[in-house]
Amino acid sequence: MPKLTIDGREIEVAAGTTVIAAARDLGIEIPHFCWHPELSVAANCRMCLVEIEKQPKLQPSCQLPAADGMVVHTDTPRVREARRAMMEYLLLNHPVDCPICDQAGECKLQDYYQLYDLKASRLWSEEGKVRKRKRTVFGPHVVYDAERCVMCTRCVRFCAEIAKDPVLIEVHRGDHSEIAVAPGRTLDHAYSLMTAHVCPVGALTSRDFRFQCRVWFLSSTPTICPGCATGCNALLDHRRGEAFRLRPRDNPALNRGWLCDDGVLAFRLHNDHRLTTPELGRGEEARPASWDEALAEAAALLGKLPKAQRAAVLSAEHSCEENWALCVFAREALGVERFFVAGRAAGEADELLRHADKNPNRAGVRLMLGAEPEPLEKLVEEATAGSLRGVVALGAAAATTGPAAATGLLRLEALVSLAPRRGPLPEAAHVRLPCPSFAEAAGTYVNARGQPQEFPRAMPPRGEALEVPELLARLARRLDLTLPFRSTADVRAAVMPRLPQPAAGGGAP
Amino acid sequence: MPYVVRRPDRNLWEQSYVPETVRGLAVTLRHFFRNVLGRRDTVTLLYPEQRRPYPPRFRGVHRLTQRDDGAPRCTACMCCQTACPAECIHIVAGEYPADHPLAHVEKYPAEFWIDELRCVSCGLCVEACPCDAIRMDTGLHPRPVEARPHLMYERNLLLSISDTAGSVFTANPRKK
Repeated sequence: MPKLTIDGREIEVAAGTTVIAAARDLGIEIPHFCWHPELSVAANCRMCLVEIEKQPKLQPSCQLPAADGMVVHTDTPRVREARRAMMEYLLLNHPVDCPICDQAGECKLQDYYQLYDLKASRLWSEEGKVRKRKRTVFGPHVVYDAERCVMCTRCVRFCAEIAKDPVLIEVHRGDHSEIAVAPGRTLDHAYSLMTAHVCPVGALTSRDFRFQCRVWFLSSTPTICPGCATGCNALLDHRRGEAFRLRPRDNPALNRGWLCDDGVLAFRLHNDHRLTTPELGRGEEARPASWDEALAEAAALLGKLPKAQRAAVLSAEHSCEENWALCVFAREALGVERFFVAGRAAGEADELLRHADKNPNRAGVRLMLGAEPEPLEKLVEEATAGSLRGVVALGAAAATTGPAAATGLLRLEALVSLAPRRGPLPEAAHVRLPCPSFAEAAGTYVNARGQPQEFPRAMPPRGEALEVPELLARLARRLDLTLPFRSTADVRAAVMPRLPQPAAGGGAP
Repeated sequence: MPYVVRRPDRNLWEQSYVPETVRGLAVTLRHFFRNVLGRRDTVTLLYPEQRRPYPPRFRGVHRLTQRDDGAPRCTACMCCQTACPAECIHIVAGEYPADHPLAHVEKYPAEFWIDELRCVSCGLCVEACPCDAIRMDTGLHPRPVEARPHLMYERNLLLSISDTAGSVFTANPRKK
């Protein structure tokens, strides 16, 4: 175990650890473009040069393995001059089009210029700059600007090493070098947006996020990606109730700082097709209603049916707290014994992150119910047969589609839907009650590995939406019953002991 | 700390205030008769028929400058929106299609709103603009309106306002 000294502080690291990683463990940030903790070492940006005692030249700290007795200085005049010189090189041909660049505000060139350079360009004229391709579409999600590129090759290494699809290559030499898509290909693998995420400058940017919002206006809230059962840790960037993107949040035990394209774009579940007021009636007869009216109608519809013909649909899209509240409500207020589970249809899976189950909390639903819920197809069958007539359902998505599902659900005499957005279940419902999206209520998801992961609320519910526990408590009062909870906090206290405890020494975050 | 307040040292004649009242009235009457009978040098103006010229750096209603072809110089970088302490600027960015003559600019303001009611006329938006696209050199006050929404100035209106010399272009061509 080599023991080295960085800026006067000693640290012992595992053999093979690089100096830059050792410095990071000490909380000393050495500026870098090309180095990324999850990618191989390229050592081509030369921004991380540091001074090592008894070595005549400055050394790239990202490539240099820590050695016993090594004495490293990261902030000497020689090092600062080297950084300033590197910044001058990198900015020599830079177009400085920050006003139209989406990276502005989170750009390493801007940050390091402020920290280490702050000199005007010595290029004699703007005309002297090497001009390259701008706004080159690389794939369905990513656009490339060659002039802004610093050729750190993080994106090339990401595609080759992490996504296992070496679709990006370096072409040309010197000033003229740039990144290109392999001939005959587009950047269309399932992790293409991560190339824009690892890009330290504005060369690769997201087409979805392009020009939507300046990053300094955004607030970030840690969340769990609602896109599939992997439960990747993410940051939700949002402003004034609108979500703009998900970014990966590092969890070494789970997603290691990555997120798939579907995950990055899963923020749309919050923005699109939202249900913001209670509604009554199906199809053409649909009309907005007040909460009083809608709750009275829901209670009347469900109350008049015999207990044995009532059922509840839990949602694999929704958190443990919301599902547990519905379980309690259905059992105590409606006497329901039949529980079904709905969710989005299964999709593609791969080795890296994507799980075939496109719902974040199927395992959590099982835990909250204490048994295996029946599939939605069974509900459709029984509704068609007429043995189940009244249903209270959580969530918008219904994995069963097609005419059989539609007619089956339409046969129900009472369908009360609690949903954040429009979808097959709310469309078939007699009463639609708006509830918060994944970003608007705190909760816990249990992922496919059985790891429970809490997430906070990013913003208040949109429109008139009510948090599910509060909504169900109000509905229960219409049925002359007081539930043992009134808010999400009450529910969380009841849910916590039912969740698996994280194994000692890591595993779940 | 207590201290003694000295009473003013006046005699009875001064204490009566009669001479001072008469002297003050004389000043007023002198101005009155001079302006009524002789030359006019009143400082008041018959606004709005008469107006005093504003100083050249007067910050009036905003305008958006145009390029030579009439397109907005603004690239929707949102620097003004960021700098604005009153949060009165709202911009929605658009993207020029690839075959547009200004395709190299990439970004333009699809919507540009200024709430002149919220504006505090601080001029920080003009300072912040890297393209000299927003200026306050119009010499105008926001026009009186009958309803608040009428003071939400919209992109094309802002583009059509000219400076005091009648130009809709930038006054600072160096800033391209």
